[in-house]
Amino acid sequence: MPLEATMMIIDNSEYMRNGDYQPTRFDAQSDAVTTVVQTKIDSNPENTVGIMTMAGKGPEVLVTHTKDLGQILQAIHTTSSKIGGNIDIPTAIAIAQLALKHRSNKNLRQRIIVFVASPLDGPAADEKGMVKLAKKLKKNNVAIDVVCYGDGIEEPADDGRTVLKSFVESANSGDNSHIVTAEPGNRLLSDVLISSPILAGDRSASIPDDLVPGGAGDAAGASGSGNNDFEFGVDPSLDPELAMALRMSMQEAAAREAASASAASSSTVPADPTDSEEEAMLKQALALSQQDQDVDMDTSAAAAPAAPSTTAAPAPASAPTPAAAPADAMEEDDEDEDAAIARAIEMSMQQDNNNPDAK
Amino acid sequence: MADDLVSLLEHVDIMQLNCLNESAQHTFADIAKHKKLNTSQNFLLSDADEQLLLNIPACICALATRVAYSIVLVSPIPPKRVKLLVNRPSIGFEDVEDAEEPEVAQILDLSEDDVKNGKPIALRYVRFQNANSLHIFVVSNQGGTDETRIDAVDVLGIPVETTKDLAGLRQEEHNH
Repeated sequence: MPLEATMMIIDNSEYMRNGDYQPTRFDAQSDAVTTVVQTKIDSNPENTVGIMTMAGKGPEVLVTHTKDLGQILQAIHTTSSKIGGNIDIPTAIAIAQLALKHRSNKNLRQRIIVFVASPLDGPAADEKGMVKLAKKLKKNNVAIDVVCYGDGIEEPADDGRTVLKSFVESANSGDNSHIVTAEPGNRLLSDVLISSPILAGDRSASIPDDLVPGGAGDAAGASGSGNNDFEFGVDPSLDPELAMALRMSMQEAAAREAASASAASSSTVPADPTDSEEEAMLKQALALSQQDQDVDMDTSAAAAPAAPSTTAAPAPASAPTPAAAPADAMEEDDEDEDAAIARAIEMSMQQDNNNPDAK
Repeated sequence: MADDLVSLLEHVDIMQLNCLNESAQHTFADIAKHKKLNTSQNFLLSDADEQLLLNIPACICALATRVAYSIVLVSPIPPKRVKLLVNRPSIGFEDVEDAEEPEVAQILDLSEDDVKNGKPIALRYVRFQNANSLHIFVVSNQGGTDETRIDAVDVLGIPVETTKDLAGLRQEEHNH
């Protein structure tokens, strides 16, 4: 549950009109941004989130440090009509850093999340310059996460490195910075983010251990009925509440089955004659209540046999005895209690009397 | 005057201590958490380059009106040029890199001798009055290498008697 001030840099370049992510790249990004904001704010009540764009006329800060999702939504909505231009990652990051520096709560760690869906060109494509920027971020203790999708997914060089990858690696200190690449496909961008390391730290607190795939409880997991690796076919990290509800209903069903199975087996065997006294009394009381339907509460409490003669069937002869027995026992208990209290008072009196002597 | 100086580390709010460009394994908290001059094996190491920015805020209880600081640095890869600032809780490297003396409280050019043995370094008395926080910016180190290592930091001065340390008060309540 990290204590963080986050600045999100969103892409609003012309490339965002592409429809390869449903419904458009920009809307997919809005959805992902909302998810990130909600997760960050839920993870710690002191966390703040800001948002800025990096294309258009130039990088522009829309909302600084807020805990209000409404402000973020409004900013995204305003931006949706201002799509255009090309991205400028280095400048945007520098501005985000400045915005983070002036956070009101200095205890918050700083984090920048960059969404990139445009091809890198200009200063952003210069690996040397980007690594230098990353070093500066690392020095100032700013963590950085990069989400690449669409045209932001770079062709790796011969050694498998990309500019953004080396950028994040240079800024990484203590595994606080991550890069996530989301290919267009049937998974939503927000779903990719939720299960990614970017939000893992904020979500881990809300997910019980035994629901985490590969966690302790997974081996002992009940019937895996899904077509994928997850129990019930749902990724528990996407929706911990749903996974928990599914598991609980599964357990309840199992408990019900077990109960009915045991009931079926016990009904074939005659009741144990040496059953506990309580159960016998309960049975007799039940029989009594079924037979005398108009029992007067006052009289029945005092003596069961005094049932009104208008009811045809008299109570079984054995009935009064157990009914009276508990009352007797209660009285005895009461007497015992009274006696104990009296003894205690007596003892304390004696102590009081003794104490002055001791002094 | 110099006889009255005591270590102010016990008045430092450890939770608020922070250091920029510290490495993840060797942090400032490691050498300051015992609230006295560090004698353990821990040390503070710089990460990306040789610069370090140490922020030492005082507890609210030790709000100082008349404090003369002098600092003690012990280090095998010693800092060379050090800038000291007072009451600037939100500084970054870019703020202090080019700052000169009237802006920063004092600039020290340390010799190896000063830091090797932990000799107290006297500071300009007038510039360190009413200090609620002290910031030590290590600009460069003696070897000119990429790593600066500091084994211990101590701040000497005269604490101002005000409120009792409330953090300590809470602990006492927990004990009984």
